[in-house]
Amino acid sequence: MTRVQVQGVVKRFGDMPAIDGISLEVRPGELFTLVGPSGCGKTTLLRIIAGLLDQDAGTVLFNDDRMDDVPPYLRNIGVVFQSYAIFPHLTVGENIAYGLKARRVAPDRITAKVAEAGHLVQLEGLLDRMPSQLSGGQQQRVVLARALVIEPRLLLMDEPLSNLDAKLRVQIRSLIRAVQRELQITTIYVTHDQEEALAISDTIAVMDRGRVLQVGKPWELYLKPANRFVADFIGTMNVFRGRVEDGAAGELRGLVTGFGERWQVPAAGTPGTSISVGVRPESLALEPGGNAGEAWNSLTGTVTEAAYLGAVVRYELRVADDLTVTADIHNPDFAAIRLVGDRVTLWFAASRAVLLPDHAGEA
Amino acid sequence: MRGRRRDLWWTVTVAAFLTVLAFLVYPLVTVLVTSFSGDDKRFVLAANYERFFTHRYYYSSIINSLYLSTLATLGALLLGTTLAFAVARYPLPGRPFLRAAANLALLSPPFIGAYSWVVLFGRMGLVNRILGEFGWSLPTIYGWRGILLVFVVQYFPFVFLLVSAALRSVDQSIEDAALSLGSPPRRTIRTAILPILAPSLTAGGLLVFMGTMADFGTPMIIGEGLRTLPTLMYGEFMNELGGNPAMASTLGSLLILVNTVALMAQRYYAFRKAYNVVCIQPLRVKRARRGQLLLLSVFAYAVVIVALIPALTIIISSFMPTKGPVMYAGFSLQSYQTIFFRVPRAIANTFGLTALAVVLDVFLGVLVAYLLARRRTRVHAILDSLIMLAYAIPGTVVGVGLIVVYNRPPVVLTGTWVILLVSYFIRHLPYPVRSCTAMLQQIDIRVEEASVSLGVPPFRTFVKVTIPLMFPAIISGAALAWMTTIGELSSSILLYSGPWATMSVAIFTEVFSNHFGTASALASILIVAAFVPLFLTYRVLGERGALGV
Repeated sequence: MTRVQVQGVVKRFGDMPAIDGISLEVRPGELFTLVGPSGCGKTTLLRIIAGLLDQDAGTVLFNDDRMDDVPPYLRNIGVVFQSYAIFPHLTVGENIAYGLKARRVAPDRITAKVAEAGHLVQLEGLLDRMPSQLSGGQQQRVVLARALVIEPRLLLMDEPLSNLDAKLRVQIRSLIRAVQRELQITTIYVTHDQEEALAISDTIAVMDRGRVLQVGKPWELYLKPANRFVADFIGTMNVFRGRVEDGAAGELRGLVTGFGERWQVPAAGTPGTSISVGVRPESLALEPGGNAGEAWNSLTGTVTEAAYLGAVVRYELRVADDLTVTADIHNPDFAAIRLVGDRVTLWFAASRAVLLPDHAGEA
Repeated sequence: MRGRRRDLWWTVTVAAFLTVLAFLVYPLVTVLVTSFSGDDKRFVLAANYERFFTHRYYYSSIINSLYLSTLATLGALLLGTTLAFAVARYPLPGRPFLRAAANLALLSPPFIGAYSWVVLFGRMGLVNRILGEFGWSLPTIYGWRGILLVFVVQYFPFVFLLVSAALRSVDQSIEDAALSLGSPPRRTIRTAILPILAPSLTAGGLLVFMGTMADFGTPMIIGEGLRTLPTLMYGEFMNELGGNPAMASTLGSLLILVNTVALMAQRYYAFRKAYNVVCIQPLRVKRARRGQLLLLSVFAYAVVIVALIPALTIIISSFMPTKGPVMYAGFSLQSYQTIFFRVPRAIANTFGLTALAVVLDVFLGVLVAYLLARRRTRVHAILDSLIMLAYAIPGTVVGVGLIVVYNRPPVVLTGTWVILLVSYFIRHLPYPVRSCTAMLQQIDIRVEEASVSLGVPPFRTFVKVTIPLMFPAIISGAALAWMTTIGELSSSILLYSGPWATMSVAIFTEVFSNHFGTASALASILIVAAFVPLFLTYRVLGERGALGV
């Protein structure tokens, strides 16, 4: 199993830094996801790790081997591309065998390994087909088998699901995860889809504008986003600005919101300064909870939209002229139904509020 | 994939540059420089140009050329576009035949087309002799009207091909949208469809304009002394009383100037008018009233038959007994016997030199296309334009340039077959380069990266993955280069010497010495030889593949 270290990597295209000094570590055998909006540099970083692109500065290490001067065809990496990059002039079997032939594996071993790989990704019986006869999902499994059969030290996947429809996407996603677990192969996975990232990853790195903003487990990113960007990108977050009050003690501190509510929030910030706090839609409730000793905060507004989805009802609430809040009430009964125009007071536990520093470069 | 090292691709870049500089740029620059030199070889600024524009003998050539090419371009556009619309949009009977026939018309080099009209409508022509028996006569084919007819008939298929291809890429929804917004059908064509076709229309027009400007054989054969830029240039250079390279170069430079201006104008226009069209559902074939359909069918078949007449005339007349320019009814292999007896060398020369040139074109073309498509540096953009220069430069100019440069030490090529090969090779290099670059732009570069990541080094990836994927483009580029090289006349006529005459040169001289039978037999062989590879390409790749220019 391979540990990957990226140390101080920089890549510029013209004057634009595509990768602006990134360091991170991928643990052996884990599925590590780079997630971020398009143009954030995630694919560029993946291509640098694959050796398909040269970095301007910094180092990439596999275990303790420096890879910077190793050409891509000697790195022994399996790459799965967004566009499949299937060889259209070769059969499925020949596609899978391609890397083995380059390694001069004996023909009978190739046959056996191709069959095995075909079985692993559920392609039995299709090995003699031409790629043009396959569906998108099948093509994606061919390139997965082709990348895995060479027993790479590392598997790199660049948005492998983005050309598939929603149902297939979930199917292939679980296949990738199952195969990856079974082979215990270190995998770096690139996606712009935060839900996909949460579902598939051991560790996620959120990227924006060539930088890594936060690395962590899926739940760490969701529950304790390091800043506003991560909070917005992973899931939905209601963000409130407020001024820290003087003189509060303990783990909680007083906050006066822009629309005049007094809240208790986890301690941070110097008294008198302005800070942002975030509250997830599902943390909001129609009534305060019963836990003794827990502080609950409230806000009041007018329902502007109500979407009843059965398991959940989503309300949009106008709290102030320039502030709309989203609230998800789960498992709603009759008492939880509000109509557009109703005045509603919502509650959340102080401990569920998240402090959100603005990240560098943001207005 | 790494660009830092001086790898194989660096070598290819240098080699390609040297080749283009030595065989195209340097000769052209020499022509331009020579045009500014005087009789005593001193540098006389613009004296030749002054002479050109003050003597009617000279300046009439550029007026004739511009006049003929402009009219021919308009005629070919009208004919080609109308035919393309008729075939694409109306249920004419035998549409595949119409399409194939229009393509076939491209196979005979224009000068052979001109000659075939002489066989039919010349003074001793078949038609005129038959009419003469009844005491009737037609206006002769000679002179500028004849040239114009040959030009339009020979060059309209370019417009037809490009516009047909462009029509296939127009989505039905565009017409539907225009009609549903209340635009009547005729207005829809003018305001919604023609604008999308504009780049192809102008590209077709440009091909016709540049082709007719450069055409040397047609005015030579039926012009009867009508001076155009290429014929006058040839005359000045090859004058029996001692050639005048300075004036020939002046004419050549003007020719280059006119063609370059036309090329730039089209590029500029097409660049501004290029739209990204996504075609899912191509334009439907329309229903038409019976009368309308009849009218269109008569038109389409008339055009196509007129376009096929040259090839048919040549082939039929090659099997007729002849005496000088007079052909008699009957069947005879006499003409073929004569050519195999008299000019076997020319046939061997043509096939040998063409094959060699095409092989070289494909070899360099594939490598250069890869560079142009995958390494878009400024250096490669320059290389691209230099290679494409060959499109715009008439054969007569290339011929004169090569002679002026390579008839003196250190490198003497005149009098050898090499100089013919060089001209064929450099002039037709754009075909494989174009077809392969276009193909590469459709091949996902990730496919190559996948191969490299699977452990196959870049150059082996190129051989194992890229070349197989480029195969259709390689074949169609080769077929086009073959087709256009095999009947090349305008530079051959200048560059051949003694034993190295080609079939095109032989046809030309046979026509001028009134041996029509042998001319027809040679021309038949040329037409068939041009047809076979294109036909095979069609069979293997289908229509779209074969036309991937």
